Amino acid sequence: MRPVGRSKVGVALLYLFLSLLSVLAVFPLVWIILSSFKTSGEMASHPLAFFPETFTFEYYRRVLNNLHFATNIKNSLIVSLSATLITIVVSSLGAYGIVRFFPKAGKRMTKLLITTYMFPPILLAVPYSIIIIKLGLVNTWTGLVITYLSFSIPYAIWMLSGFFQTVPLEIEEAARVDGAGKWRVFVQVVLPIVAPGVVATAIYTFINTWNEFLFALLLINSSGKMPISVALYSLTGSEILDWGEMMAASVIVILPSIVFFMLIQRKIAGGMAEGSVK
Amino acid sequence: MNSLRTSFKRWNLTGLLFVLPAVLIVVLLLIYPILSSMYYSFTSKNLIRPHYQWVWLDNFRYVLTNPEFYRAFANSIKWTVLSIVGQLLVGFAAALALNKIPRFSGFFRTLLIIPWAFPAIVIAFTWKWIFNDVYGFLPNLLTQLGITSHNVNLFAEPSLVFGAVLFVNIWFGAPLFMVNILSALKTIPADQYEAAMMDGATPWQSFWAITIRHIRGVIGLLLVLRTIWVFNNFDLLYLMTGGGPSDLTTTLPIFAYKTGWGLKQLGVASAITIILLLFLLVVCMLYFRLLNKWEKEDR
Repeated sequence: MRPVGRSKVGVALLYLFLSLLSVLAVFPLVWIILSSFKTSGEMASHPLAFFPETFTFEYYRRVLNNLHFATNIKNSLIVSLSATLITIVVSSLGAYGIVRFFPKAGKRMTKLLITTYMFPPILLAVPYSIIIIKLGLVNTWTGLVITYLSFSIPYAIWMLSGFFQTVPLEIEEAARVDGAGKWRVFVQVVLPIVAPGVVATAIYTFINTWNEFLFALLLINSSGKMPISVALYSLTGSEILDWGEMMAASVIVILPSIVFFMLIQRKIAGGMAEGSVK
Repeated sequence: MNSLRTSFKRWNLTGLLFVLPAVLIVVLLLIYPILSSMYYSFTSKNLIRPHYQWVWLDNFRYVLTNPEFYRAFANSIKWTVLSIVGQLLVGFAAALALNKIPRFSGFFRTLLIIPWAFPAIVIAFTWKWIFNDVYGFLPNLLTQLGITSHNVNLFAEPSLVFGAVLFVNIWFGAPLFMVNILSALKTIPADQYEAAMMDGATPWQSFWAITIRHIRGVIGLLLVLRTIWVFNNFDLLYLMTGGGPSDLTTTLPIFAYKTGWGLKQLGVASAITIILLLFLLVVCMLYFRLLNKWEKEDR
């Protein structure tokens, strides 16, 4: 008997299986994009029609002009970029420090990560909302960025320590012999080697902060300060839902996530496989 | 004395400076909030009223005698176990298939990974739209095919809602399992399979003895991380159903949210989240036992 995957029928079945799964995976994205261009009359009269009869950009215009989504996109960019920048600086230093100077702790990285990962966001939400009120940071981006560091830094340290572990010690020692100090070795020798990993970690952090919902819901309530996820949620507050607007806004939010994700997909997976093999 | 001196020498100042910012932030943003949450769980802290007092174990007594808590707990377990099993099975099957096909593996992989990039709020909007009983694709399709007599709203129908949210969570979470299992599969040396075939092993035997044995570490780690994530998840489920209809999809995080921000009882909400954390700790310790056992066997 030949194993599945060797015979022609077996291979054909695998392709069929993967094609069906792919349709399931992609259909929702395609569907919201197509829906966002359909007129409301068409949505009601032909719920199963695939392509819009008449393309309308009305919803996009309304979302960007009337609902001021451009402001929310800007808010999200400011919050996510600041959180990502701080996360990457702090975590690169931390991950390298652990891997090089505290190797014993480095071997337990995964367990340390899981321990911090275990703290439920909803548990942190109680003290955060109390502390943020006390500090007078309600409705500020600073408050939101601070809370985002709580989940992005542990994860980034874990991802980065995987990348730093791949840097051969000999390269660093050679630089040390040439008289470079620890900081210079880090900045001029080690960082360039792991740069692709740092970029992947930065993008992953950016996506996670861009998509975050709970803390933004609890800490920001003025629509001018809202990041995009909560602004989207506020569309559900009205009596009659405007699905066209909701779809157009969804497409605007999701496209950057998907593009970035495609760029780094291989890096994310590699880290975990290597991390647990050790 | 001697060992003390050497340990002082090893006290490496630069190394400490590297890790200091990260350690400070983790302590300030994780350890301190956890401790203050524990403190509030013993008080009558309210979201709006400024005054509160120490109430000893009242919050815990209140929570642990509340049937709603046990319903939410049961929902949490059901939601977590069924989601994780589904995600693992679909992700594993997809990874095996991708690893076997001779061409287009990268193409399929790129398509299959798309759900992973969806933010929770967009997942909720998308599936509410597809499941909508007036405009939705699926209810209209089912009616047209004659499977249902009228359009059903999957997120509002008590008998269907749990299946519907599980389906969405598996759709969202399976790609993560798939991608990680696939890259683990790629690390298995091909000659092991050849050797096994020469020894007359059946494909099924070599699947268990080689494939599973090689990737169970990755699968174990994925199971731990995703179990925690799904168990703690608030936004996905809350945005899809709000915990309804009639609390059928209210899990512990949603129950805590409704108590803390709906009823304003932050003290009680803290008690709920502390119980949640303790439960997770126990589950993870059991997982770790298993992982350690595997690690020892692999040596």
